[in-house]
Amino acid sequence: MTNGAADSLVSGRKSCWLRFCANRFAVVGLVVFATVLLIALASLPWTTRWYNVQSLDSAVRAAPMTLPAVAFDAYGKALNHGVRSDWPRLDRFAWRATSWMGHDDLGRSLLCRILPATLLSLIIGGCAAFVAVVVGSTWGATAALMGGRVDAMMMRMVDVLYSLPYILMVILMKVAITRPLTSLLDGHAMLAQLIILVVAIGGVSWLTLARVVRGQVLSLRTQPFVEAARANGAGVFYLLRRHILPNVAGPIVIYATLVIPQAILQESFLSFLGIGVQQPIPSLGRLAADGVESVNAFVGFWWLIAFPCGALVVTLIALNFIGDGVRDAIDPKSSQATLI
Amino acid sequence: MTAFRPFTWVGSALAIVLVFVYFNSTHEPPADFRYVNSSGIHTLDPARMSWTQDFRVALNIWEGLTTSDPRTNQPQAGAAVFPPEVSPDKLTYTFEIRDDARWSNGDPVLAGDFIRGWRRGMEPGTGTDYTFLFTDNIVGANEYVQWRQQATGALTAMDRLRHGWGIDAQAAMSLSRHDIFEAIQSQLSSDVDVNDDREEGEALAGRLAAADIDWEVLYERVFDLHVADMKRRFAKVGLEAVDDKTLVVKLLRPCPYFLDLTSFPLFLPCHASVELLREGGAAGLTPEGLVVYDPQWTKPGRGKNGYPGLITNGPYSVSDWKFKRRLRMSANPFHRAFEMMASQTIDMLVYENISAALMAYEAGDVDFLPGMDVPYDHEIARLAKTGQRPDFHICKTFATYFMSFNCVDKRIEDRPNPFIDARVRRAFALAVDKNAIVNAVLQRGDHVAHTFVPPGALAGYHSPAGLQMDIAQAKNLLEKSGYPDGEGLPAVTLLYVPSDERVCQALAHMWETNLGAKVELRCQETKSFAQSKANHQFMIARGNWYGDYYDPTTFLGCFDTGNGNNDSGYSNKVYDALLDRARNTTNETQRLKLLADAERMIVEEDFPIIPLLHYASPIAIKPSVSGLFPNPRLWFPFQYVSVER
Amino acid sequence: MIRHLARRLSWAIVTLIAVYVITFFMVVMIPGKPFQQSDRNMPIEVERALRAQYSMDNNWLYFWEFLGGAVRLDFGPSFTYNDWTCTQIVAQALPISATIGILAILVAVLIGVPLGVISASRRNSWVDVSIVSGVLIGISLPTFVSGAALMALFAVAWPILPIGGWGTLWHLPLPVITLSLPFIAYICRLTRMAMLDALSSDYIRTAIAKGVEPRDVLWTHALKVAFLPVLSYVGPATAQAVTGSFVVEKVFGVPGMGQHFVNAALNADAGLIMSTVLVFSVLLISLNFAIDILYAWLDPRITMAY
Repeated sequence: MTNGAADSLVSGRKSCWLRFCANRFAVVGLVVFATVLLIALASLPWTTRWYNVQSLDSAVRAAPMTLPAVAFDAYGKALNHGVRSDWPRLDRFAWRATSWMGHDDLGRSLLCRILPATLLSLIIGGCAAFVAVVVGSTWGATAALMGGRVDAMMMRMVDVLYSLPYILMVILMKVAITRPLTSLLDGHAMLAQLIILVVAIGGVSWLTLARVVRGQVLSLRTQPFVEAARANGAGVFYLLRRHILPNVAGPIVIYATLVIPQAILQESFLSFLGIGVQQPIPSLGRLAADGVESVNAFVGFWWLIAFPCGALVVTLIALNFIGDGVRDAIDPKSSQATLI
Repeated sequence: MTAFRPFTWVGSALAIVLVFVYFNSTHEPPADFRYVNSSGIHTLDPARMSWTQDFRVALNIWEGLTTSDPRTNQPQAGAAVFPPEVSPDKLTYTFEIRDDARWSNGDPVLAGDFIRGWRRGMEPGTGTDYTFLFTDNIVGANEYVQWRQQATGALTAMDRLRHGWGIDAQAAMSLSRHDIFEAIQSQLSSDVDVNDDREEGEALAGRLAAADIDWEVLYERVFDLHVADMKRRFAKVGLEAVDDKTLVVKLLRPCPYFLDLTSFPLFLPCHASVELLREGGAAGLTPEGLVVYDPQWTKPGRGKNGYPGLITNGPYSVSDWKFKRRLRMSANPFHRAFEMMASQTIDMLVYENISAALMAYEAGDVDFLPGMDVPYDHEIARLAKTGQRPDFHICKTFATYFMSFNCVDKRIEDRPNPFIDARVRRAFALAVDKNAIVNAVLQRGDHVAHTFVPPGALAGYHSPAGLQMDIAQAKNLLEKSGYPDGEGLPAVTLLYVPSDERVCQALAHMWETNLGAKVELRCQETKSFAQSKANHQFMIARGNWYGDYYDPTTFLGCFDTGNGNNDSGYSNKVYDALLDRARNTTNETQRLKLLADAERMIVEEDFPIIPLLHYASPIAIKPSVSGLFPNPRLWFPFQYVSVER
Repeated sequence: MIRHLARRLSWAIVTLIAVYVITFFMVVMIPGKPFQQSDRNMPIEVERALRAQYSMDNNWLYFWEFLGGAVRLDFGPSFTYNDWTCTQIVAQALPISATIGILAILVAVLIGVPLGVISASRRNSWVDVSIVSGVLIGISLPTFVSGAALMALFAVAWPILPIGGWGTLWHLPLPVITLSLPFIAYICRLTRMAMLDALSSDYIRTAIAKGVEPRDVLWTHALKVAFLPVLSYVGPATAQAVTGSFVVEKVFGVPGMGQHFVNAALNADAGLIMSTVLVFSVLLISLNFAIDILYAWLDPRITMAY
């Protein structure tokens, strides 16, 4: 532990990275996450075409590894006689791969839905974290810099918002702003939905960050180097940009990595309640919730449950491992758990 | 400071909570017969009911003039002597109420109790969805209901004005339709001629709010007049209690299914004690002119004003009702069948998660599931059909599931609506592979629908054939209407509720691949769906219709111009004329033929809807249960049920 | 102390009013025809009269009327369930949600704290590694997945517990355990960190040097300090468990507040939405309040905030 303190004096990005690499869990998490992301991205040319291609025949709820009698051409139109030999080799491979995770109740390839769903969930999580970070750090930093009554007022507001049953607020916000926003973004229902989800989830996750950032900025304000800069006539923005933000970047990064899995989890709860992303667009939460609904004593479509839930859990665990690693790397002395 | 023993503290806290839960948990013996409703009861007020699960309870705790046969749903004897006396012109029904018909507190059932119950179904405030069953059939009912509804509109507007609040265009127009408006108009600075125009309504609203009128005085005058008038007006409705036990009902026109109607929940009686909970003082009306009862009236417990709790006249009465948990019914000792009823107590349990309900059934906690709307219902249907599970039954229901087109609005959300052209509607209908939906998507043994009225359910009614899928013709039609291969077709919005998810995704895919249309799926929860639909914010919307009585008109009436349930806004003079002629025909064969002609217009030519399927509803009855029969309406009288344990 | 309490109380009232205002604005924005019972349309005059009867045609009026009623604990009727008032619904559902939530937190403390202590005392051993990774899985597993898994195991595959519903003690274990899983994970993690901190502090070293039994050092001396962060987490966590139990309630068909809230939000049942949110907020505020006092009693050194 004594070495750690010396390290942080030398500090810098490199030592951070080294500390991160020393954490076995974090490295495993990062590798898994990078692999998932890479596969999801690389498969986009096929999955975007095929995620909603249905074949309402033998393929309905077909088990993994059973190819449907119907194939799709490169544009997603159903063809009647299996895979076509004049396709490029990669397309033929991709088409065979569609059956690896079986088909859902509309004969859609589960793999072709899980891959873009993972991306979408990550996008939702990332955007929500971004919203939370922007709002939270602006709020906290402003309060700290303004000081006095403004500070007290702003922090009281955070206290008040803390007392809201926030999961209920997410639901309420989702239900309430869907229609006005959809009509505002006429014709872009998909975009409107994403914005709503991101705003609703991000909008309730910024409170802790605001408190943390405020505390950091308050302590920074009295540091000699900040006082010196101020004495030299530096403006508020200059102070923020040169001295304050670089020094609160650590807690912000730590927090952001923890918000992403939280946001993905919350989206999955909303999907479970039927107010998540609208069909036919897949999100991990939605697929997992659909799968869980079919738990029963009669017939086990295990692949409809196992693969989406597996993908969701693996992604979340990887993200949590990374988040833990990042926290330990940036702030090795942190004993106070960063709780959301 | 005391010793630090966190686990002891937490452990004892845990124990305390558990003991608390134990003493608060139910220790009653389980009921003789237990069944499950997935979403619980919406209301036990017969006048406001709309849902099958509510009807099911209502028909077990109340008894109408007639009741419904547990197997065929044909009318049979109820609280009145069966069959009632019918005049030769079939317009007057005289019901003689049985001497042994009693309420659950021992009071005899009177003719006046029926009039009270029926009137609740008509009054604005208590009656809701089924008021048309009275207004379409009983002499004077329509006039009374119209008059009351108009007065409500006017009273609401005036009540707002007398409190000094502004009113909106619609309220102003309601007021302008009332008799009092002539008197008001003389007070306004200039003459207003109000048609059904929004702008004029707004102008009028502004002028009314600004007018120098003592609204307080005027309101009281109108209100008192209205209250005084109500009795006189209601006397003109064709309902009369000749004596305590004789009820005479006068019909507008012969109604071959009237005895079927009298077994419907809206036609149930109501015990006099409910008046103790009527709100609105001596007049019995709220300031808005509504008839309102304290919601406590449907509960078994005592209420204010000495209300003794819900009194019913059916085989059972409600003895306990916990919100969304359980409703317990126990046998009514004053009912004539009391001695013969094997199941003395019935529990209706609520499992929001129907899958869990099914597992509870498998575990033997429940004896009967009147619906199995689970994501794997296809498996249930397969087990039932192959005979692997003889306790699973498939009920053919008197209901149709369909998609309705918006046929009136030229533009929807800034997009042109292609469906005002019947050819486009027909093209979309022809491009749907209903077999794939029924046999591949749903797989639960529903029947493919080519008509609106479920064929074969009504004796003597010959359904038209309808059209089969024909993609070539569909493309051809689309080209003729100016959208070759779907080019130029605006994005089509498909509005539905969560339970339609799979069907609507399949439909969208069919239209996209078969016609080249672009379909936008829009899923909404039931209440917002209802609003979007009422505001006509859809191009295609899901719909379903359960026949309320055994006659084609229960379906075909929906497309009458101006019918409140005509969601597609379809209006065709020829169709209206056919229905009208059918209404006034006394010859039954002729009438049914006219109705079949009318249906042909809908399902072969104009397509305000695409009928998709007639529901088959799977139910589960434990082998130990006897006396419970699958029936098309899914009404189950429990008085015949016995369970071997 | 009394001055402090009074200040907290006045802030609680301000918070409640803010909660009400925010909720009200959202509720007004929710689309829907609350009075319509089914797909069938209602005569327009009647619908307007019903809206007027509940003052819903005038938002300002509705705002004050509902507030006035709420003060007297009369939340008005539920529009979706005509036979019930919101007060009746809340009164029936709140004890259920509270029982599940509180039990889940107690279970979480009973399991999470010892796990954290063990994990910290054997830092970097295989025990520690497996506990830490178990914790991360617990945090990452959505409750509807773990709930379904538990249900499949203990109610279907090996049917020793009822599947769903409410009423007896046997209905408790599955929802309570499912709900407590993420909290076990958090509490374990929290305890572990606080313990590591405590174990490296001077007074523990002194205690060890003085020859106090290692077991006593761990479970009494160190835990006493390490328990404080857990305690301050328990307040918000209980509130989170009570309010966030709707997923568990849905999985196991428990008739609690969360389910009613979701249904109400989806069905534009204004009164039920607002009464649920208000009751939850009161619960949340008072729990935080209670924990605050407990905290001060446990550790008098801590000066109270504000």
